[in-house]
Amino acid sequence: MATLTEARALEPALTAPPRRRSRRPLGRTGKVVGYAVVLVAAAALLLPFYWMVMSSLKNNSDVFTIPIQWFPKTFVWSNYVDIWSKGDMLTWLKNTLVLSVSVTFLQVLTGSFAAYGFARMRFPGRDALFLGYIATIAVPWQSYMIPQFILMSKIHLTNTLWSIIALQAFGAFGVFLMKQFFETVPEELSEAARIDGLSEYGIYRRIMLPLSVPAIASLTLLTFVNTWNDYLGPLIYLRSPDLWTIQLGLKSFISQYNADYAWIMAGSVVSVLPIAILFMLGQRYFVEGIATTGLKG
Amino acid sequence: MKRSALALLGTAVVASLTLAGCSSGGGSSDDATADGPVTLTLAGWSLSTTPEFKTLADGFHKVDPNVTVELKEYDATNYDTQMTADLSAGKAPDIYVQKNLKNFYTYQSGNQLLDVSDVAAKLDKDATGGLSDYEVDGKTYAVPYRQDSWVLFYNKDLFKKAGVAVPDGSWTWDDYDAAAKKLTTNLAAKDSKALGTYQHTWQSTVQGFALAQSPDASILDNDFAYLKPYYERSLDLQKAGAQVSLGDATSNSLTYQAEFGKQQAAMMPMGTWYIATLLSQQGTGDADTFDWGIAPAPQYDASTTGTDQTPVTFGDPTGLGINPKIDKKKIAAAKEFLAYAAGVDGAKSLASIGITPANTSAVADTFFQLKGMPTDDLSKFAFSTHDTKPENPVSSKTATVQNILNDLHTAVLSNSTSIDKAISDAESRAKNEAP
Amino acid sequence: MATTTLTAARRRPGSRLRLRNSLIGYSFILPNFLGFAILTLIPVGALFYLAFTDWNVFGTASWTGLANFRRLIHDASFWTAFRNTLYYSVLHIPLTLGVSLCLALLLNRKLRGVTFFRTAAFFPYITSIVAIAVVWNALFSPKYGPINEILRFVGVDNPPGWTSSATWSMPAVIIVGVWREMGYYMLLLLAGLQTIPQQLYEAARMDGANAWQRFRNVTIPSLRPTLFFVTVMLTIGSLKVFDLILVMTNGGPGQSTLVLSQYIYKKGFEENQFGYASMVAVVLFLLCVLITVVQFVVNKRRER
Repeated sequence: MATLTEARALEPALTAPPRRRSRRPLGRTGKVVGYAVVLVAAAALLLPFYWMVMSSLKNNSDVFTIPIQWFPKTFVWSNYVDIWSKGDMLTWLKNTLVLSVSVTFLQVLTGSFAAYGFARMRFPGRDALFLGYIATIAVPWQSYMIPQFILMSKIHLTNTLWSIIALQAFGAFGVFLMKQFFETVPEELSEAARIDGLSEYGIYRRIMLPLSVPAIASLTLLTFVNTWNDYLGPLIYLRSPDLWTIQLGLKSFISQYNADYAWIMAGSVVSVLPIAILFMLGQRYFVEGIATTGLKG
Repeated sequence: MKRSALALLGTAVVASLTLAGCSSGGGSSDDATADGPVTLTLAGWSLSTTPEFKTLADGFHKVDPNVTVELKEYDATNYDTQMTADLSAGKAPDIYVQKNLKNFYTYQSGNQLLDVSDVAAKLDKDATGGLSDYEVDGKTYAVPYRQDSWVLFYNKDLFKKAGVAVPDGSWTWDDYDAAAKKLTTNLAAKDSKALGTYQHTWQSTVQGFALAQSPDASILDNDFAYLKPYYERSLDLQKAGAQVSLGDATSNSLTYQAEFGKQQAAMMPMGTWYIATLLSQQGTGDADTFDWGIAPAPQYDASTTGTDQTPVTFGDPTGLGINPKIDKKKIAAAKEFLAYAAGVDGAKSLASIGITPANTSAVADTFFQLKGMPTDDLSKFAFSTHDTKPENPVSSKTATVQNILNDLHTAVLSNSTSIDKAISDAESRAKNEAP
Repeated sequence: MATTTLTAARRRPGSRLRLRNSLIGYSFILPNFLGFAILTLIPVGALFYLAFTDWNVFGTASWTGLANFRRLIHDASFWTAFRNTLYYSVLHIPLTLGVSLCLALLLNRKLRGVTFFRTAAFFPYITSIVAIAVVWNALFSPKYGPINEILRFVGVDNPPGWTSSATWSMPAVIIVGVWREMGYYMLLLLAGLQTIPQQLYEAARMDGANAWQRFRNVTIPSLRPTLFFVTVMLTIGSLKVFDLILVMTNGGPGQSTLVLSQYIYKKGFEENQFGYASMVAVVLFLLCVLITVVQFVVNKRRER
């Protein structure tokens, strides 16, 4: 009996993560150095954004100088007011938002749906078809842009927001990403569910999706960012000024012989903020991953 | 199995592409004249900041109130990409601008421009600069409404400060070099950071002059030796510190408007389009307020210098062409619009907003009445008297050769390759890629 | 034990079940595949056809057989672009993979401020590429840039010309490419790391494995599907790199940073030789597919 209680007393010590013990030798100086390194790295990462913000507050002709001005001589706060009046920032924001949300929603939905088919179902031609998907990612878009444009205009989709939604929502990227993540979910779970009488669609909805929250979060964020920052697609397909996205709208500040760079930078800063906020808010879906319990008993 | 399916797909698509390319316009009537109001669509770019299109549209409406010209907006930097996409899909407007002479060949050889020789016949062939550039096999396919040419902008205040004599219309490139170096030294002595001159990063700043001024120079015969003296001079100026090097200008994304407008350089060879920009920027405070003028571009040798000669410079026209898919009933109105834009009336309205029209002979006075324009005689001479040769002669090889020469430009001025090696590389590439 | 009996049970169903499974499988991929086939596969098919023609976008596309391919073989500029693309990829892929993996591992814990650092790592990807090009070009400026100032300070006599020099322009672009994309791949690897159950680490620790052994025997194998995805996307992305080079150096100085995607754009949109540009695109495509298939096979083999 004594040995049992001894054993039980020892148990927490044995299962306690030894991580805490190995961390102490790092000490305070180690932590300070570590944080300093990370801070320098963060500064390097944020430098261009810092320049963008500083330039958005300069006079137009002070944006590009020798040597580079890291700090504006005078702060021109009116740039942030001007972009709303000189440019149709509200419309651009609205269009960009509509596009990003719809494309993201459709990509995640149809992409994960198709990914389940590729990852878990067996049907003839599966691997070849999947390779075909990935293969199209390998073709640079500029090379088939014109045939695609001719096709789209024949079905009367050009110069509408639907054109961008149609183009981006059925991409191979989402299918590929979700398939890889579905493969990390153990087969045993699906088997057990199948035995319980769940249909494939049910397995997809009740097991695969909930377990892939980090992947879905990543796909959502990346698709959103890509659509938000897309320039070439809208350039070709969205011609009417009331359809412009932010990237197109900002380019309208570049006329043939002159450019309002300070305004472009101000608009770019405004454009980056929603994404940064989205990213920070979405962190929790990456951090708190779903522990895949119930595996080996 | 996949291959034949692909081939079938491909054939189907290309069949529809060719059908799109060959189909004629919607108009079935042979009636050449239109009664009642006609609306023409015109392609333009950056409509809010480029007033020339609206000026032409409104001006023409006054002349013929029956015709309204509707503007369609395109992107300034990617105009040709968008226009190419639209033309290939059959969605381009009735009249579209020939923005870059380099792309004119593609549109013309691709049958995307209507024959407008009858319009050209009504224009003054000598006074309308750039008209001959749009002529292929005896037929004219577009008419120019503006033609900028390259002149020498100079800052009178900085010249006075440095104690250097201002240009007087008699300069060759050697005179220009000497002045640039002297300006740099003298200005530095007076604690000014301004340099003698600024040469922008485009290949045209060197090659345009070389092509226009060197005797028997051509970009189509794979002989680029004529570029050598021009590049040697540029390298010399870079080395002497009289102008910012290409590397520094590109890596710091310098803009020519700020370099001259903020008095970072005392001189700058640039196209006449900059006049309107400089005036407007001096008005808004984006550029400093200083005394400036324009002089004829420095010449190859003394034979074309002086105000009793015609200086040789380069410049491409900007023109208007008619989309062959236009409704047949509108063709007459469209041609009238072209004649207006390229003629004296259009020239006058363009000059009043600071644009250099194709026909500069009739408009010098209007132009120089703009607020802030230099009023000296040399500026007027430089504006109205010039032998302007095209920067991009029309041919099937031009776009390819210009890309090759652009690589030469960056290679030489970044000191990565010697001028001789760069020229021989360019010549062998031209033989290979543009036979 | 339980798995083998289950898989044995699955092999038994007859052809009707297989047909039903196939139909269900097709139904899953149908929505996405329909849009994909119409909007992407058909134009890509057209591209493959155009590669064997002399289309200049306005005229008819007349069949020229292998003429474009023969021209490509003898085109020195094509080979320059090809070499530069490989040069970029061979350095860019391992560097980005290594850095983003380190970042993901480092930031995969609930430290103070980890949200901030993760967002900072992601910022290069969401910042406008024009701003990135401008700032990095200025940083790399040979005479006025801080990078060369620091190099001169530590005693380097002749610091490189970076984007103004034909020798150093590609390394400069690679550095910016790695910097820009490490946040993107870090995100994907972070998501992958989340799928590794803690129990595996605990079990390994109980068995006495140290940090490196845990990394090699738990993290890497569990991360394999994600690593495969990241490697394939990174490879294809590197071989296809376009907009970064376009805004930073535009292929220059000379042709030192000319890559295949840009060569395709130049030939197609600037010189209107769409047939030839399509052929170059097909060659790029075959290169990507070849490498991807190799990675696919290696991955499948490791799966067993």
